Amino acid sequence: MFYRRAGIRHTDYRHERQLWPLPFDRLLVAVVVALLLAAPFVVDRLYLVAYLLPWLIWSSAALGLNLLMGGAGQIHLGYGAVMAIGAYTSVHLVRIGAPLELAMLAGGLASALIGSVFGAAALRVKSLYLAMATIAMQYIVDFAITHIPGVSGGGQASIEVPPVRFLGLPIEGDLRTYYMALAVCAVITLFMLNVGRTAFGRALAAVRERDYAAEIIGIDTFKYKLLAFWTSSFIGGVVGSVLVVCYLRSVSPDQFHLDLSIQILAMVIVGGLGSVLGSFFGAGLVLFAPIVFNNLIGFAADRSGIAISTDLRAHLPLMLYGALIIVFLVVEPLGLAKIYDNVRNYFLVWPFRTARR
Amino acid sequence: MDLGLFIELAMTGALVGAMYGLVALGIVLIYKTSGTANFAQGAIAMMGGYLAWLFAAGLGLPMWLAIPAAVAAMFCFGILVERTVLRRMIGQPVIMVVMLTFGIELLLRGAVPGLLGSAVKRLSLGIPEAPVFVGEVLSNRAYLIGGGISAALIVAAIVLFNSRAGIIMRAVSDDQGASWSVGIRVERAIAIAWGLSAVAATFAGILWGSMQGIDWSLSLLLMKALAIAILGGLDSIPGVLLAAVIVGVCESLATGFLDPIVGGGTRDIVASVIIVVTLMVRPYGLFGHEQIERV
Amino acid sequence: MRLTRRTFVASTAATALIGMRSAIAADEKIIRFGMPQDFTKIYTFVTAEYSQGQRDYISLVNGRGGVNGYKIVADVSDHANDIPRAIEAYERLKREGMVLVDPLSTPVARALVSRALEDKINMVTAFSGRSDAADGSVFPYVMPLSPNYWTQAGLIIDFFRQQDKDLKGKKIVLVHIDTPFGKEPIPIFQALGQKLGYEFETFPYTPPGNDQAAIWPQVRRAKPDWVVFWGAGVGQTTALSEAIRNGIPMDRMSSSVWISESDMDVVGKDAVKGVLKFEACASGRSPKVIADILKDVAGKGQGAGPEAKIGTSYYNMGVMMGAIMVEGVRVAFNKAPNGPITGPWLNDGLTSITDFTAEGLLPAMTVTKEDHQGGGKGRIARWDGTKFVPQTDWFSANQDVVWAEIRKSAEAFKNTGK
Repeated sequence: MFYRRAGIRHTDYRHERQLWPLPFDRLLVAVVVALLLAAPFVVDRLYLVAYLLPWLIWSSAALGLNLLMGGAGQIHLGYGAVMAIGAYTSVHLVRIGAPLELAMLAGGLASALIGSVFGAAALRVKSLYLAMATIAMQYIVDFAITHIPGVSGGGQASIEVPPVRFLGLPIEGDLRTYYMALAVCAVITLFMLNVGRTAFGRALAAVRERDYAAEIIGIDTFKYKLLAFWTSSFIGGVVGSVLVVCYLRSVSPDQFHLDLSIQILAMVIVGGLGSVLGSFFGAGLVLFAPIVFNNLIGFAADRSGIAISTDLRAHLPLMLYGALIIVFLVVEPLGLAKIYDNVRNYFLVWPFRTARR
Repeated sequence: MDLGLFIELAMTGALVGAMYGLVALGIVLIYKTSGTANFAQGAIAMMGGYLAWLFAAGLGLPMWLAIPAAVAAMFCFGILVERTVLRRMIGQPVIMVVMLTFGIELLLRGAVPGLLGSAVKRLSLGIPEAPVFVGEVLSNRAYLIGGGISAALIVAAIVLFNSRAGIIMRAVSDDQGASWSVGIRVERAIAIAWGLSAVAATFAGILWGSMQGIDWSLSLLLMKALAIAILGGLDSIPGVLLAAVIVGVCESLATGFLDPIVGGGTRDIVASVIIVVTLMVRPYGLFGHEQIERV
Repeated sequence: MRLTRRTFVASTAATALIGMRSAIAADEKIIRFGMPQDFTKIYTFVTAEYSQGQRDYISLVNGRGGVNGYKIVADVSDHANDIPRAIEAYERLKREGMVLVDPLSTPVARALVSRALEDKINMVTAFSGRSDAADGSVFPYVMPLSPNYWTQAGLIIDFFRQQDKDLKGKKIVLVHIDTPFGKEPIPIFQALGQKLGYEFETFPYTPPGNDQAAIWPQVRRAKPDWVVFWGAGVGQTTALSEAIRNGIPMDRMSSSVWISESDMDVVGKDAVKGVLKFEACASGRSPKVIADILKDVAGKGQGAGPEAKIGTSYYNMGVMMGAIMVEGVRVAFNKAPNGPITGPWLNDGLTSITDFTAEGLLPAMTVTKEDHQGGGKGRIARWDGTKFVPQTDWFSANQDVVWAEIRKSAEAFKNTGK
């Protein structure tokens, strides 16, 4: 009843290859976009700043990593380092007076360059070894940032972001930062939605499935893997600078450790490898689960009067977070995107029932 | 170059490396039999340390009873983890299993300090602190004993792998299908491998815990263990011993000689640099076997 | 019940919906202190006891009727040193009307500085955060209210000078964790080294410091006269164990404020006899406030944690900070009895605290609009096998060097941050 599929006839290939051929899908997308645009005026400030804004930023990061992991099938456990490079480069450039747009792009470029250098070294090996190489990259970048005073800002080790202008508007206050993050996220999402339809995306898919078979049919696997690293790192760098400018407003090395890499990795996997929507879902779940658990436990402890020791109470969100990841991977390895897919499939033919499997 | 300092650092480094090697032993054991890397190994070591403390201080058991009790408990825990969680991930791509082990690590890191208390705890093995002088060079007893025990355990593992049980595990790691057809109980072998690696991790946790106190930071042993495992070869147990010594000595010497030049903190980098260099020069490690993908 | 996909998804959704509501009944006469702190990640060694101390003191005050009829609410939660969670907690608490926030975490405090200054919410950065925030003219709403690391370094050096009469030609060594926290006192040690004529050497170790095996042989070979060890949690216990193993005399070693009875216990109470530490407040159960808490709060079963921890170093530090905050409220009421209860109102009170000792727990502390540190007094205490025994009176030293550094750093912030 909702997804009317009758009467949709494609008359040319362009029409057939639309992202959302069904009008209901397009309606959903329009509603979501409208909600996101109107959010600052509709939603309470707390939710805007503490929930929506980080959600947008972390989703963009997850999208970048998804390109590499879901698109090209490579493992990257050092995405935090990639974002760190982008963040630091752009902040330093802004502080010496460069315009923000250039600084963001330069941050992306720096990440891409350094990320590709490590990628080139690491791509000799596969899967598990690649994972370890990227962890090593994370630690080396961490070390470089903290030990080069020129980069980390010396003793105080956190560099404030000076007031900046983006496309002519000063970025300050919740409204502007939110819209800037939304704009960057929109660009990255559009890119990710369409990358699968380009030759680049198809080459990546071939490399992901069977790289020696791809080699045989003429795709230079090494070149495409490296390009995937390059693009993904570029996105990571740009997201890193957005993170620092819009959300954190200061950059310090503590924010970009291995924990961040594992967090984004969890977002991608729990969301669903290769799925754009999944990155958003995964980011929301991984980001908010500890906060929600925290509030829930506080609420339950207050109401029921059970005295939980502070230690246990403080550690429960971490426990539940780990348990959540484990349960997700065991129960639904294809991630939240698959769950969304199931729901959509159900409504596709509602009120009729789907064919029995 | 101060020769005395060099020898001292090298000796300490080798012994400390052997202690890291215990954790790496677990990683290699699991990789050998089930082909997955266990990123929760550090957290399992931490849990082993906590359990030993629980039996000793919480239940009041004497040390010589608490340690075997903890070891036995962790062996069962390792088998439990494999059976309940890893069993379901058979056939999934490796990244999913890696993520799963990260999830286990988070769960343990939250559950164990949460339930048992996050303050640093004391675990005393009764090793006197007085230093031992070998000529001009000082070595401390704790490291000698700790390093000695670790090395002994790793050698025991090598010997084990030449026994019948070991041959079964080697067969499983070589080709699971063929092992099945010969009548080997593959699931049992994998479960035992997990149990044994938990045991190795527990010993590491107890040794390290006795030196630094038991708290969540024991789970950070993972990184060094990974470096050792890769350098030695992810599927080679003798490699663990040699790589452990190399990594330990390199770290120690780096701290001693590079730190004054660079300004500190080279210790952590050494492990990462070793990983990167190994992967660039000899990807499968010193003693590992090359993985051949068949079309 | 089998864990089918459906039950799992449904239960997760339900949990999320419930969790989004934060239900705290709105009370009329309360003053809210926000205390999102790190219970699970890096500051685990201190936060539990510190928070217990704070909450016990606030329970004591509330039990006596609160301040001017207003009860103080200590809103405690865990941010696990994770900036997004900390920002969420901060925004949520702000919405509920908090006038003071105590994150007890240096990275979180740094991340919240711009927000606190903008929102005019008092951020207490006890023994952590930015050392240059002592300069109230640049950081009006960041309140250390405790001796910062530069002051502690200055005091420690002065104690050494008092012991040795003259430090010229001596060798002082700093073994520190290789993080900004560990590197922070170095400029002070170097400046004082030039002034007093001692040789200064540093030995950084990688965080968290559980492996210092290669550091202490070098320290031994450097043959120092005094060793200062600057770490936290496991770094401290490992440092002490390694020092013992390398034969460094305990009575020539001093720590910053971050060492406690439980650390001593881990290494072995008798083995570390003689170790010195910086004390910002009295330790043990003899101060009147602690005795009161034992009687009126813990005695009535309303303690926020195990009774055995009452009187330990970090517990007393929590009580100290709680006391200063409540004193700020009291002074604020004296100045403006009708409120309204806002950040600026409390700020006025906090910056007018004069000669406050919390009935003998602290050295007399005076906070002004320019000096948010409170005077920078402390004392050195020595471990005698069972407790820390003060070796000196409350004193402050080398504040000229410290304030030079504070002003230099605050200038830098003013030029680039604002």
